[in-house]
Amino acid sequence: MSSTTSVSSGNRRLETFSYDDQIVRMFVIATVIWGAVALLLGVTIAFEMANWKLNFGLQWITFGRLRPLHTNAAIFAFCGNAIFAGIYYSHQRLLKARLFNDVLSRIHFYGWQLIIVSAALTLPFGITSGKEYAELEWPIDIAITLIWVVFAVNFFGTIIRRRERHIYVAIWFYIATILTVAVLHIVNSLEIPVSFFKSYSLYAGVQDALIQWWYGHNAVAFFLTTPFLGLMYYFIPKAANRPVYSYRLSIIHFWSLVFIYIWAGPHHLLYTTLPEWAQTMGMIMSVALWAPSWGGMVNGLLTLRGVWDKVRTDPVLKFMACAVTFYGMSTFEGPLLAIKSVNMIAHFTDWIPGHVHSGTIGWNYMLTAGMLYYLVAKLWNTEIYSKKIADIQFWLATIGLVLYIVSMWTAGITQSLMWRAIDSTGKLVYPNFIETVIKIVPMYWVRAFGGVFVLTSFILMMYNLYKTAKSGSTDKVEVYEAYALDDSSVEKTASPHRKLEGIPMVFAVLALLAILVGTAIEIVPALFSGSYITKLDVVKPYTPLEIAGRDIYIREGCYLCHSQTVRPLVHEVLRYGKNSEAAEFVYDHPFQWGSKRIGPDLARVGGKYPDMWHYRHMFDARDVTPQSIMPRYTWLFEQTIDYSTLSKKLSVMKTLGVPYTDADVENAVATAQAQAETIKTTLVASSVPPQVVDKEIVALIAYLQRIGVDYGKAP
Amino acid sequence: MHKEVLSLSNMPWMPIVAMLIFATCFVAYIYWTYRKQNKPLYEEAQGLPLSDGEKHE
Repeated sequence: MSSTTSVSSGNRRLETFSYDDQIVRMFVIATVIWGAVALLLGVTIAFEMANWKLNFGLQWITFGRLRPLHTNAAIFAFCGNAIFAGIYYSHQRLLKARLFNDVLSRIHFYGWQLIIVSAALTLPFGITSGKEYAELEWPIDIAITLIWVVFAVNFFGTIIRRRERHIYVAIWFYIATILTVAVLHIVNSLEIPVSFFKSYSLYAGVQDALIQWWYGHNAVAFFLTTPFLGLMYYFIPKAANRPVYSYRLSIIHFWSLVFIYIWAGPHHLLYTTLPEWAQTMGMIMSVALWAPSWGGMVNGLLTLRGVWDKVRTDPVLKFMACAVTFYGMSTFEGPLLAIKSVNMIAHFTDWIPGHVHSGTIGWNYMLTAGMLYYLVAKLWNTEIYSKKIADIQFWLATIGLVLYIVSMWTAGITQSLMWRAIDSTGKLVYPNFIETVIKIVPMYWVRAFGGVFVLTSFILMMYNLYKTAKSGSTDKVEVYEAYALDDSSVEKTASPHRKLEGIPMVFAVLALLAILVGTAIEIVPALFSGSYITKLDVVKPYTPLEIAGRDIYIREGCYLCHSQTVRPLVHEVLRYGKNSEAAEFVYDHPFQWGSKRIGPDLARVGGKYPDMWHYRHMFDARDVTPQSIMPRYTWLFEQTIDYSTLSKKLSVMKTLGVPYTDADVENAVATAQAQAETIKTTLVASSVPPQVVDKEIVALIAYLQRIGVDYGKAP
Repeated sequence: MHKEVLSLSNMPWMPIVAMLIFATCFVAYIYWTYRKQNKPLYEEAQGLPLSDGEKHE
């Protein structure tokens, strides 16, 4: 029922209305389905890390292809649908108004599911932009923007039609989410298409890195944190049947968090070629985040004062209390990792995925589980089917998560200590990178089995929720009544902030300003980095064949295991060579610095080994590096190089400012084929069949042999 | 080269400006939020999730 009826009572108009709970049910079902998919993908790639053979030789399910699908499924499919379910349920009730438009709600739902399906149909095929957590190609990026606008119109339209003057704090967090995600997504996704499935980032090198991690960090902040905090502020009081502990603290929490979070992105780039001031700013703001994050955690936990006995027995409160506790732990660990001296140890190691999963499983999954138990019981007008199953689910998830975190801490600290160990003569104690890899493989097995525990817990929840829904009914539509909003609800003597809480559009503008200040200071200087990064004559654009090879490198997700930046740290320079400089990345659209070193850094790999070494390494890494955990890339030896788009690729690069001439663009294919012939000659000398000349492996070798050569080998 | 790039792009005042902007805003909303006259209003707002609206019989 979507109609509204009204009766006048004195000066006030009493209206009756109903909520659109069907759309919430749809998002709830989608959350459960995509959650299982995301976890299944996570467990799959965790086992692939422990045993490289588990991709069964299939390119579509290799780690580099599936990892982006796992992260996209977990963040945008699972958490995304959970956010929409929770927001649509609480938003209507907090405002005492039905959602703005039922059709927009359906467009939002089906559009979002279509985007997720598009991700599933492109990422395993290597259709990716090569930017972490923003891998989807440009047509899908546009679809995301459009659907986000639909969501925003529906959301703000509901606010306009509300019957409650005050905008509750949960809705502030939703407002910040909607506005900031829009800004982040649009700015980071600016790219020029080469074809329907391929584009190049508008930014390059340091500039691209800063914008990517401004986005990447704030995707965590404004997709995995602020909306869930809003849900926390609604569902914990609701489930505990108690008001939030301190409303004033929630105001401080909101503004501090929204203002500070946006500045913290550069902590992902400490000790890189990013300007020092940006690194320091990222570190300071990350440490400052401790206060608002813990303010929110304290507020959430203290809301449970007086009802702790219920936490023991009520699945909703149990999951939510655990979620808030994990939120506290991961928001303690995050700023700690952002301190330069700690980051020096932890960055590029497995400690980081351990930290990330304490947030996504501990905070997002646990809070979502609590919310789903609450919602399914309410929306299907019944009781939770089995509290016992929920209890088993809780402990399986908790034990699985502890296994995950502890194994990754152990692996990360082991890696770091081995990488940086230098003996009394000034040499690396473990000069072969593979020595560190072998040491941590047992931890990968522990992590994988931890993942199995979490996945099993989720399957139990699916069963429990299904049985709960099946025992209930959706036939009854509740009708509510509330007075229409009029001047009588205006608080004329209240303070400016209190008044502001009743003026949603002005509030939204101020929230937007809060995030734009940090954004401007952080990324505007980067947009003009061309003016302060002096181009080096020795650094030349990639040849056409190297461009083709670089695109294969991106397609296979090599950046997910190999970094391409040498930090100015003694052990890194000893291991890899000259530390990186900003000027050597100016033609890198997109940058490929990566964030993990499951394998060694490749910033100076060019010219380090002969072509034949790479040929053998890509066919079977164990042939040249015994006990390597890198999968085989046999398909590169069968698939032919795509020359058809090469001229267009160079043309786009030229548009982006890479100094190719018209002749370079015109002769791209001939130039590439000539370079392929040269590489073929060296390979044929080692008994490789001459047919290799047009195979993808040749293009990849061309690229690998070029990485870091211009500056790295320069005097 | 490294030093040259850093000297051109070094803006040590930037983190200080950032902290000053934040500190100013922080003090302003602490002041507004903790004004005594707002206490009853916030107590009312605290209970919003608990009142979904009266059901129409």
